[in-house]
Formats: sequence, structure tokens, C-alpha cells
Amino acid sequence: MSKNKKIMFGLSLAAVAIMIMFFSTMPSAGSKEVSIEELMTKKDIYQDEYVLTQGLLKEDSIKWNADKIELKFEIFEEGKTKYLPIRYEGVKPDNFSDDVIVIVEGFLREDGVFEAEKVQTKCPSKYEGEDPNNYDAGMHKKMNENKQD
Amino acid sequence: MYLIGNIALILGIVISLYSLAANIVGLKRKDRRWLESARGGIMSLAFVTSIAAFLLFYILGTSQFQYQYVAAYTNSQLPLIYKLAAFWAGNAGSLLLWTFLLSIYAAIIVFNKKKQNSMIPYVSIILLLNMLFFYIVMVFNANPFEMTDTIPADGKGLNPMLQNPGMVIHPLTLYMGYVGLAVPFAYAIAALLMKKMDAQWIKLTRRWTLTAWLFLTLGNIIGGWWAYLELGWGGYWAWDPVENASFLPWLTVSAFLHSVMIQERKGMLRTWNLSLIILSYILSLFGTFLVRSGILTSVHAFGDSNLGTYFLVFMAFMMLFAIYVVATRYQLIKKESKPIEAYFSKESSFLLNNFILVAAAFAVFWGTMYPLISETITGTKVNVGAPYFNKVMAPIMLALILLMAICPLIAWQKAVFDRFIKNMLAPLLTAIAFAIILVAIGVKGLYAIIGLTVTVFMFAVHLTEFWRGICARRKATKEGFLKAAIQLTRKNQRRYGGYIVHIGIAIIAVGVISSQAYSQEVMKTVNKGETFKVGHYDLTFKNLAETNKNGNGIVYANLDITYKGKDDGSIKPEKIFYATWPEPSTEVAIKSNWKEDLYVVLSSWESKDKVTFVVKINPFVSWIWAGGIIMLIGTAIALLGGKTTSSLRVKSQQAGGQK
Repeated sequence: MSKNKKIMFGLSLAAVAIMIMFFSTMPSAGSKEVSIEELMTKKDIYQDEYVLTQGLLKEDSIKWNADKIELKFEIFEEGKTKYLPIRYEGVKPDNFSDDVIVIVEGFLREDGVFEAEKVQTKCPSKYEGEDPNNYDAGMHKKMNENKQD
Repeated sequence: MYLIGNIALILGIVISLYSLAANIVGLKRKDRRWLESARGGIMSLAFVTSIAAFLLFYILGTSQFQYQYVAAYTNSQLPLIYKLAAFWAGNAGSLLLWTFLLSIYAAIIVFNKKKQNSMIPYVSIILLLNMLFFYIVMVFNANPFEMTDTIPADGKGLNPMLQNPGMVIHPLTLYMGYVGLAVPFAYAIAALLMKKMDAQWIKLTRRWTLTAWLFLTLGNIIGGWWAYLELGWGGYWAWDPVENASFLPWLTVSAFLHSVMIQERKGMLRTWNLSLIILSYILSLFGTFLVRSGILTSVHAFGDSNLGTYFLVFMAFMMLFAIYVVATRYQLIKKESKPIEAYFSKESSFLLNNFILVAAAFAVFWGTMYPLISETITGTKVNVGAPYFNKVMAPIMLALILLMAICPLIAWQKAVFDRFIKNMLAPLLTAIAFAIILVAIGVKGLYAIIGLTVTVFMFAVHLTEFWRGICARRKATKEGFLKAAIQLTRKNQRRYGGYIVHIGIAIIAVGVISSQAYSQEVMKTVNKGETFKVGHYDLTFKNLAETNKNGNGIVYANLDITYKGKDDGSIKPEKIFYATWPEPSTEVAIKSNWKEDLYVVLSSWESKDKVTFVVKINPFVSWIWAGGIIMLIGTAIALLGGKTTSSLRVKSQQAGGQK
């Protein structure tokens, strides 16, 4: 075998080792992304799994306990009426209001409450200013109220 | 002005089409006049694009809200600097910035008549293709000079998160890096098209590549600095898809910068270098595509638009084109490549370095794309977050730092093992002593201690390299210490510039490892006058107050700090209520010293007397920024030096003989 080939052989062994490392860390480090609907209807499947889900914040559901640093709120899917209750030990993220999209990661408890380990907010379009022609704060609010009926 | 802007963009398409045609005709007929005309076309392209760019600056600066772009990203109260920086706040403007930079780069390449060589027409064809694409996108999809139907009284204002000095420079530096990669790519393809298999294209683009790499480095570090100051979660890197997108080309270009040295000296690794630069260029397009396509959820992304498709098509086109060119000339490349002569040589250690860097790039790419991959295969989207990246990248980066420590000690061609061991001894003992001290003073955390020890080892190796060089020089020339140090670096700028960059990386590594392993966080709700403890700090909440600045309301808390019982001043974390933004934004307060940052966030308040804080102690974070500056200095030294490689080869052999 030439030296070049031997070096190549050694490097490919290392490559295999690194690939194994990728795959072995993957499941433990990942979070499954599921919809609220699926999470709530198939409770037992997702019981002990670390999942990620997202939905719109129901503003009047926010309960913030400053002394315990505990945040409780509910999120829902656009156009649906199921509310997922969430408990989070931590502070309110920025922009935590109105029809902001909330991304949560954590576990679904047996009693149906989602124990979040991570709460993030996302504006529908973070860096883009809202379209000045189409955006109407009042209209958005109304849309939300209608959804809640 | 609407007319001028749009005419400039349309002229952009027309001129780039014409110059493309002129180049091709000139090459076919071997007619200098056509090529001259194409050269003129590129110069006028730079002129036209500059007009468009200055026009956009002008309408932004003077708040002409009849333009959609101005109305969407600024308002009249915004400080002038942010009005101007809104240039790259949105899609259309950032595309114009890209085109502007590219046209200037292209003009620089063709500008000097004396430096013309036979590659230039080919190079300009590739760059023109790029520019044409961007002009087409701007005219048909993201025109920065679009008008509004009715002129609004005031604009929407700039997103508060973007109102930070980081925003002014971070995108700019990153774009300069991205765009700069187009130049070595164009040269590589040009060399292939002309079937020139020597290392000339590498020599001609060494400064371009190094500059692009420098800007990528700066862009990433400034991005981290901005996230740290502005986003209020106490970190600087979140492995977000968009951050990864700018990290990927950095990794591959870092590999390229090392492997080209082997080709320059030894004529090895031709295919590899070509592949690396093509990959880097494609990754720079990929980054732009990722930001604009909305295929991955990211806090950084621009709003959804069909721009992603444009980029995907262009990226695929360029990639297939590059692969085609390489494949058709593969036999030619292969014929002139030389094999490696010994395992234990600088060549093979550089090869290993390349392998690790590319593996790192692949690991990042894999993690970034995994949600899409898993969705295609299993149907469920699995997001991999920071834990995956930390787990996979930590050992890879450790291996890289270890290699950086060993590499400078290995000679070219065939290293002598005894001398290698002898040179390594002092730094190794230093590192071991350092580890023992860490354990003795009660530092916990095995991985962090290993990481820090390896970093110290790497650092010490580079210092002793300098030391040895200086001593040898003093012996020969009887110069003073400082003069010898300066002369040594000046005589061999590429080598010692590189070493300084490595030292910068060691400093950054200290910051990253210790802030990852030893940061502390406390979340606490306190009443007025109450004191709470974080690490060695005692914080006393004095009061909550209000003020006004630039038309924005500011609520801030006053906290008194004592450090280990001694008075250490006060700190004022804020929440800013921007007039144009519905929600207040966190403005972090940071108290920095050489070994740690006290990072205080005013989270919320129940009343004037009851407030919730998040307080973090992040050790050695300021070292990351300092390391960045050292990297900048090192790269600048390497950039300015090393005109010709042949003279360098002679010199380095002499230096090698002295050791």
C-alpha cells in the first residue's frame, strides 16, 4: 500500500468514528416537533418524550408568580380551540403578549400540563417590519377574539 | 429619484449581459478590443451600482417615506446612523449591498491594466454571472426602490433588536466575507477553464481569500457580541441555523487557507483545494438561501418570500457548473499531483487539520439540516439543538486545538522525532503544571479542565516558537529583544501572522470553555432594599425609575453591588419602550472585568418596589472579544506580508536551519 493510500485509510476510519458519534448523540440531543393537536390527542405516545411544539399565546391565560419565578400560560393552534396548558420555571421572555408565536420545549406530564424547559417567542416576521399596508393591530385582536369563541 | 434607482438596476442587467457577451466574443475571436470593452463594462457596472447604493443611503437618510423600503425599516425619530444602517435591515437592501460589494470587487480586479493577465476575462465572466443574478432578483422580486401607494406620515421604525452598534457592522462584515469568496472561486474556475494546473490562481487570490476569511471571522464574532449584548439570554452563540450558515464557510475557508500552503510549496492536493473553494463559495450562497427561504425555523430569518427559490436555482446552477468543470479536467489535475512523502511531516499534519475542519463543517451542516432530513425519512421533524452541537463539536474542537499545538513543531517533508519531542517538552510541562494548579485550587469539571489544559499547551507552543525565533535572531544580529521580535515577524509575516491568529484562537477558547462550563445564573424577585447573592457578588435593589431618551421611554432599576464584601459601584439594567414597537425590549447591563462579566437583566416588575431580575456570572467572556482582536491583528500581519512564495521558501529553509 502506498503512503497516500494508508493515510486515506486512516482518515476514513476516523470519518467512520465521527459518523458514529453523530448518530449516537442524535436521539438524546434532539426534540421531536409535533403539533399541539397531535400532542393532546396522542398523550400516551409522547408521555416521556422531549418534544417541541408551538402555538399562539392566549393572553388572558398568563399567570405569573413572581415569588416562585413560575410562569403558567396556554397556547393554541391557529383556528383550533384546544388549549395546551404550560408550566415553566423561569421568567417571561421579551414580546410575551398578544398573538405572538410561542415555541416551547419540554415534557408532557400525565395530568396534561406541559412542563416546559425552554420558552421562546417568535414574531411572525422578526426582522421584517410589518407590511404597513396590511397590518392593523385592531384587526389582529379581533381575529383572536373570534378564534376564542 | 425613483427613475434613477430603477434605471440603475435595469442598466445593471443590461451592462452585465453586454459585458458577458463581450468577454465571450473576445475570448472566441482572441480580440483584445472586445475584452477591453468588457473591462469598461465592469467599471461602469461598479459606477451604476454605486449610484443605486448611494441613492438608497440618501433616501434612507432623508426619510423619504414614499419608498416602501424606507417606510418599512425607519421612522423619522431614528438616529441617523440607524437610518443608514437600515440599508441592510431588509431583503431588498441587503441584496443591493451584496451586489454593490461584488461590483466593487470586480472593478478592483479589472482596474489595473498592468496587472492584467490571461485569466481576467474568465474571472470576470464568473463574477458577471453572479452580478447578473443579483440584479435580476432585485428588479423582479426585491426592488429597494419600490414606492408605497400612499405616503405614510411616518415609517414603521427599525426593530429594536437591530438598534445596536453590532447591527451597523455585523451584517456588513459578514457580507464582505461572503462576497469575497466569489473571487477565489472565480479564479479557480478560470484556471480550470484555461487548463492551467499550476498554483497561480492560489497565489493571485491569497489576499482575497484571507481578507474574506478575516471578514467572516469578524462577522461571526461581532454577531456573537451583538447577541450577547442585545438578546438578553446571556449567551453569544445558540447554534441557530442562520449562525451555522455563516460558520460553515468559515470552517471550510480555514481548511483551505492551510491546504493551499501545501499546494504552493509542494504541488499536492490540487483537487482537494479546488473542491474546498468551490464548497466554500456554494456554502456562502447556501447561507444566503437559508436566511431567505424560511425552510428552517430561525429567529434570524427574514420573512417568508419566494426569494429562496431564486437562490436555490442559482446555487444548483453554480454547483453543477463547477462540478462539470472539475470533472472534465480531472485527469489533468490528477496527472500533476504529487503524493505525500512521509506520515510524520507538516504535509500530513495539515491534511489532518483539513480533515478535522471539514468534519466539523459536516457536523454543523448535518445538525442544521437534520430537521429536514428526519422529516423526509421518518415523517417527524426532529430538531437538534445546542446539546447536539456542543456534544459533537467539543471533541472536534479539542482535537483541532491539540493539532494546532503540535503542528508548528513538525517540520516540512520529514520531521525528526527527537527534535519534535525536545521542542514540545517545555510547553507540555507548562500545560501539566497548569492543570495541577487548576485541580489544586479546587476547579471542578473534567472536560473543561482538559480543554483548558490543551489550550494552554497550544498557547505555550506558540509562545516558545516566538521565543526561539527571537533568540536565534538575537544571536545572529545582536539586536535588542523588541527589535528582534519585530524584525522576526516582519521577515516572515505569513508564518508569524498565522501564529498570532492561533494565539487569538487560544484566547477565545479560554473564554468559550470557561463561560460554557462555569457560568452561574440566578433568577430572583426582590423587594426594595433587599439584597441577594450571586457568586461573590451581593446585589441590593435600590429603586425602579423612569426616564426618556430619543423619544423612547426607559424603565431602569438601580442596583448596588459589592464584590467579596467590598463596594463595587452600581448597575442599571433597563427596559426600553420604543414608540414604534408594541413591546418593551430588554437592555442588559454588564459589568466586565478581566475574569468575568456580571450580566444583569431587568425581567419584569409587579410594582415599583417588587422586581424580578435574572443575573448571570459569565467567566472570561471578554476574552472572546479580545481574542477576536488578536486574530484581526494576526491576519492583518499575514495579509501585508508574503509577496512571493519562492523568496519565502528560501527564507524559511534558512530559518529552519537555524533551529
